[in-house]
Amino acid sequence: MAKAYTPGLKVSSRTTHLAHRILPISGEVKASLGDVVDAETVVAETFMDGDITPLNVANLIAAQPGDLPELMLKKEGERVEKDEPIARSKGMFGMFKTECKAPASGVLEAISKATGQIMIRGESIPVQVKAYLPGRVVEVLPEEGVVIENEVALIQGIFGVGGETSGTLVMACASHDEGLDADAIDGSMAGQIVVGGARMTAAAIRKAQEVGVAAIVSGGIDDSDLKAILGYDLGVAITGSEKIGLTLIVTEGFGEISMARRTYELLTSNAGRTASVNGATQIRAGVMRPEILIPLASDAKDGDSAQSSTDSGVLAIGTPIRVIRDPYFGSIGTVAALPEAPQVLGSGSKSRVLDVSLESGEVVTVPRANVELIEA
Amino acid sequence: MNDTQKIDTDAINVILATDCGSTTTKAIMIEKVDGVYRQTWRGEAPTTVEEPFANVTVGVLNALTEIQEVSGRRLIDDAGEIIRPATATEGCDIYISTSSAGGGLQMMVAGVVREMTAASAKRAALGAGAIVMDTIAANDKRRPHEQIQRIRELRPDMVLISGGTDGGDTKKVTEISEMIAPAKPRPRFGKSYELPIIFAGNDKARPEIERVFSDGGFDLKITDNLRPTLEQENLGPARDMIHDVFLEHVMAHAPGYDTLMSITDAPIMPTPGAVGDILQTIAKGRGINAVGVDIGGATTDVFSVFDGTFNRTVSANLGMSYSISNVCAEATMPTILRWVHLDMDEHELRNRVKNKMIRPTTIPQTMEALVFEQAVAREALRLAYIQHKAFATTLKGVQQQRTVGDTFTQQSGGETIVNNMKLDLLVASGGVLSHAPRMHQTAMLMIDAFEPEGITELAKDSIFMMPHLGVLASVHPKAAMEVFERDCLVYLGTCVAAKGIGKEGKNCFSWSLDGGTRGSGDIAFGRIEMIELGPDETAEIEVRPARGFDVGAGPGKPVTKMIRGGTVGLILDARGRALALPEERAECREAVTRTIDAIGLYPDLEGSAV
Amino acid sequence: MRMSTIQTTLLATAVCASAGVQVVLGSSTTSWLAPPEAPTNLVANDLPWDGGGTVQIDWTASATPEDQLKGYEILAHELSVTPQEQAVETDEQADRAAAQQTESLLEGEGIAPEDARRQAELSTPTFATPPEDVSEWDSLGIIPAVQTTYQATGLNKDGVYIFKIRAIGLEGEFSAPTAASGEIRPVAAFFNGRKLPLLITLALIAAAVFIFIVLARRGMPMRIRKIAGLEAVDEAVGRATEMGRSILYINGIQDMDDLQTVAGVTVLGHVAKTAAEYDAKIEVPTARSLVMTAARESVQSSYFSAGRPDAYNPDLIYYVTDEQFGFVAYVSGMMTREKPAACFYMGSFFAESLILAETGNSVGAIQIAGTANPSQLPFFVAACDYTLIGEEFFAASAYLSGQPDQLGSLKGQDVGKILVGIVIIIGVTLATLQAITGSDSLEAAVNYLVNVLLGS
Repeated sequence: MAKAYTPGLKVSSRTTHLAHRILPISGEVKASLGDVVDAETVVAETFMDGDITPLNVANLIAAQPGDLPELMLKKEGERVEKDEPIARSKGMFGMFKTECKAPASGVLEAISKATGQIMIRGESIPVQVKAYLPGRVVEVLPEEGVVIENEVALIQGIFGVGGETSGTLVMACASHDEGLDADAIDGSMAGQIVVGGARMTAAAIRKAQEVGVAAIVSGGIDDSDLKAILGYDLGVAITGSEKIGLTLIVTEGFGEISMARRTYELLTSNAGRTASVNGATQIRAGVMRPEILIPLASDAKDGDSAQSSTDSGVLAIGTPIRVIRDPYFGSIGTVAALPEAPQVLGSGSKSRVLDVSLESGEVVTVPRANVELIEA
Repeated sequence: MNDTQKIDTDAINVILATDCGSTTTKAIMIEKVDGVYRQTWRGEAPTTVEEPFANVTVGVLNALTEIQEVSGRRLIDDAGEIIRPATATEGCDIYISTSSAGGGLQMMVAGVVREMTAASAKRAALGAGAIVMDTIAANDKRRPHEQIQRIRELRPDMVLISGGTDGGDTKKVTEISEMIAPAKPRPRFGKSYELPIIFAGNDKARPEIERVFSDGGFDLKITDNLRPTLEQENLGPARDMIHDVFLEHVMAHAPGYDTLMSITDAPIMPTPGAVGDILQTIAKGRGINAVGVDIGGATTDVFSVFDGTFNRTVSANLGMSYSISNVCAEATMPTILRWVHLDMDEHELRNRVKNKMIRPTTIPQTMEALVFEQAVAREALRLAYIQHKAFATTLKGVQQQRTVGDTFTQQSGGETIVNNMKLDLLVASGGVLSHAPRMHQTAMLMIDAFEPEGITELAKDSIFMMPHLGVLASVHPKAAMEVFERDCLVYLGTCVAAKGIGKEGKNCFSWSLDGGTRGSGDIAFGRIEMIELGPDETAEIEVRPARGFDVGAGPGKPVTKMIRGGTVGLILDARGRALALPEERAECREAVTRTIDAIGLYPDLEGSAV
Repeated sequence: MRMSTIQTTLLATAVCASAGVQVVLGSSTTSWLAPPEAPTNLVANDLPWDGGGTVQIDWTASATPEDQLKGYEILAHELSVTPQEQAVETDEQADRAAAQQTESLLEGEGIAPEDARRQAELSTPTFATPPEDVSEWDSLGIIPAVQTTYQATGLNKDGVYIFKIRAIGLEGEFSAPTAASGEIRPVAAFFNGRKLPLLITLALIAAAVFIFIVLARRGMPMRIRKIAGLEAVDEAVGRATEMGRSILYINGIQDMDDLQTVAGVTVLGHVAKTAAEYDAKIEVPTARSLVMTAARESVQSSYFSAGRPDAYNPDLIYYVTDEQFGFVAYVSGMMTREKPAACFYMGSFFAESLILAETGNSVGAIQIAGTANPSQLPFFVAACDYTLIGEEFFAASAYLSGQPDQLGSLKGQDVGKILVGIVIIIGVTLATLQAITGSDSLEAAVNYLVNVLLGS
């Protein structure tokens, strides 16, 4: 067997991408089939149940829970405003009455005779889903959302921080192995997606935050820089909801590492175009990697588009791969040989291996688990 | 599900079992060979819960087909059904399965007092094999609106509510239910799914609970109280109810499970629940105390049976790939590096840890990487065991009976029942432990992390067969026991460790095997030694601890016991308990190097092959 | 300490008794034999480091051999001041006199005011001449001839004394008295140097308390042994919550002037806070009205700090009766009726301890007791789930609050206890060795320890 299945990240100069834009709970779909939408277009909207404020009124007015319904000034289902009296005790001889005020605005949802507790349901929270990917609506899922399709250049990163955003791609480095430092960032990059080469430094990220850059894409990031930016040590790779003012995407991994040349060239060739990026990463069940989507003008089709996907995920002699574990971490090369029998590694464990001829010309042996395809 | 009919255990000759994990479906075949049950063949196939198949049975049939191919026994007929009952050349007598696909069983539990009914509810849920997402209690230090916010964020498969002893508190448990009902936790499976709520609290509160959940959107089930009195914990009915609801609701909503349920001969169990069951069966059958651990990429499960009481904990963010970065954050780098005897650049390691997190499937290629990974594993296991000890306690809120003799030693309730001195068997499973290049490494990982005291047997689960045997134990305990002893466990050996701290170099204990005929000696404090004792050998060991050291009979008292050998042998550990490595880096390195040399953990550190 | 007191008393009794006998003898005999030689070199000094009223008298023994002497008689005479000064009776008059004198000095001699005032103060009063005949002097007693030193006690602190001493022959004949000693005023000393070890000990403990407080404030972790009884408060309150029953808290049967009652109120605050968090009902019947008031204050502030002011109900903290058994009858009755799930007994208890604890046990409550009455501890230990013993009970507030100041002072006090422990061990060892060997130097050491260090 000269082929083996192995995971990889997609880097594609032209592919048809479907973006599923789904509401977390059912609601109203605003777009219709065939609509051409912009990144910022709201395609679906719903209202989530408001927050609940519980309050033990019986305790507050020193009444028995069972007597509560008659002491309530508002009935179930009525609207209450913050600080409006909602219950009054009988008091003594009609005097010394205690009042209870509403702690929040909303609708009085429930009054419990058993515990003396009431529930006030706050205003509904609007939830909007934007198109994110400019394109055409190709499917409408009633009450749920839409599917948007477009021809894009797609680049998957390995890890990202921050959510969805969009902007114009701008190159900040001269080559794929040049680090992204603070002086590469300037005020003109506000709202844009800055592409660096190798490692992005903490200083660069801070500068970008100040300037108002929408996103940074680069080869690597140092663990300590990430910790400094986030303010905590990331324990589990589930990201996307960080509030750091911009989205960060690394394409290769942690440490001093250059962006794969192919990725860099693809980004360079698309500089000036508007891209949609999402830093959300989830490595457990239902893997999600950060992505950079660059919508292509639909007319400018070139031969590169028809990349067949049947070969993806299969290792063969000559397949371009990336080594993803030390001691050759980050090296790019092609498969030179796929020995059949498992070999004993330096660590003493037995594993199936492959020979990689690196860009430097050197041929090294690595376990098959430690390489990934650079997918087309 | 044909569990209603009584299975004739004597007539069973061929058993098929599968475990549908998140990524792989593993199948094993057990056959009666010369009157005893042996695991004979196994097969694996990717789990097919997600698109494009979206039918778990596809993966099951693929795994069974693999067995069919290697064993030459026809198991599946042309219609794609399992052939039953077995004949001489084809089919099987029973087919059973477990499942943890799709993230397993996720639950939220609630109770009145965190340490009492809420803790019992958590124990019931964990024991049934669930992942407990959160525990809501009246005294969990969160304000009611924070609790509601939390409930809304979770997406559990079911909710277990307990609270109040029978005839006890009604108000608080109703209050908690009143918070859960309007918060409407959204289930993971679609909008049509009615969230099952199991109420196992005060029997007098049932009418109120029924009223609270009457509004719709819920499927309320009522079962016996988990804590009928505070002195008594009754987890059985609630556990059974969780299993029922798991099958009825959760499984029924997972793709293909309705078919799978119809073809199994025993109810499908959540994988961890089955592992717990087999450990309990073994502990009961052999009359021993046992601890089992399963360290995965994301989580670490610890199971323990002490004096017949079973406990399970899941340490959600202690794992070796997805959660490795979290282990490093919780344990801190210097604590991990104390197990490492080589020079390593801490900054570089931090990046490597993160790279492992984002590329979880990679394996260590060099010896350095292996040494570091095993150091991390030690800390992950140690932290998981600490969490387990804190959870596995005696009941809280129990009235104590005293005599005047207790004046100065008043034991309180809620003390941990985990006692390393009483531990007889320590079972390891999970990638980093099962796939360690040398068994010695597995053994030392367990000893360093769990710090067994006295005389403890070490074993590892050969091919993670425990889930299968857990379900099998529910229909055929004898077969499960036999396979467990013969094929499931790989005995690593026995660890003898003295409890106590002494002076470096002073005698810690003396030992002799079979009255000295097979060797004897003294071992100084701070040292560790390994004696060859093969897998099928047993020997009688006499251990005479020095003053102040305890090997099970009390300080300074000698112990004689039959011990079992293994692939590693007998490990004599005189490094003291609690195990403390020197604070000073150079000394610590020296101590660790000494241990590594004594056991031969990393014999070809220079690197031989690659 | 106790031993030394007894010794002193015995000694005093013996001295008095012997003195009495001697006086009788002395008065009944006539002196017809040759009188013994008089002792010489009489020196009297105010005893330093004393509370006043004592004078130390030393002399050189009489030339007559000891065996021919019955002893020495100590004679004292309190000098009376001259008439004009005697007229100065009140302080006011004295002040005025002094002022006048100052003024006259100022005017007459022209010296600086400060110096004038000092001179006026210093100007020695003139005394009336003491009587020549020593029989008019006060006899302070006759002491054995082997002694050449004597402490005259019980003198007037403000008086001025002179002393003489004479030897007494075997037949009661007196020698000539010695020359009178100098004028001595047996004043009280400001500082008692003999108590210096105590001062040092006190300083050490105070310093330890201070240092530990400072350390605790700087964040040094102070480990306190787990007190099971206090750890179990959560458990007891939780039990009451789960069972839907009340918590009963008895604050002893003594009033607020009893330290144990105060400690009990502190613990009540903690229990009430936990109860407020769990939303459990806490009932506090008291045997004293003041305790009721204090308990209400404490419980109310606990409910406030737990953020549950609405749940505080003062009616559950009430006064029952001062009568010991009336109170017990009420509480026991209430326990059997309402079956509380948790009972706390924190304070000073007497005969009622076992009645309460047994009743509580019979209704199935978790019981936590705390008292410093040693006689009641065994009952509580046997009948309750947890018992705080004496010191633990008092340490409770530091333990519960976890405040650095309180923890630090607790640690500091521990240093004091360690010191006491060390002294006890040394003392016991020395005394035992002394008893075995009979060594004089050891005896001296023991005596030093008993009489000086422990400040007889």
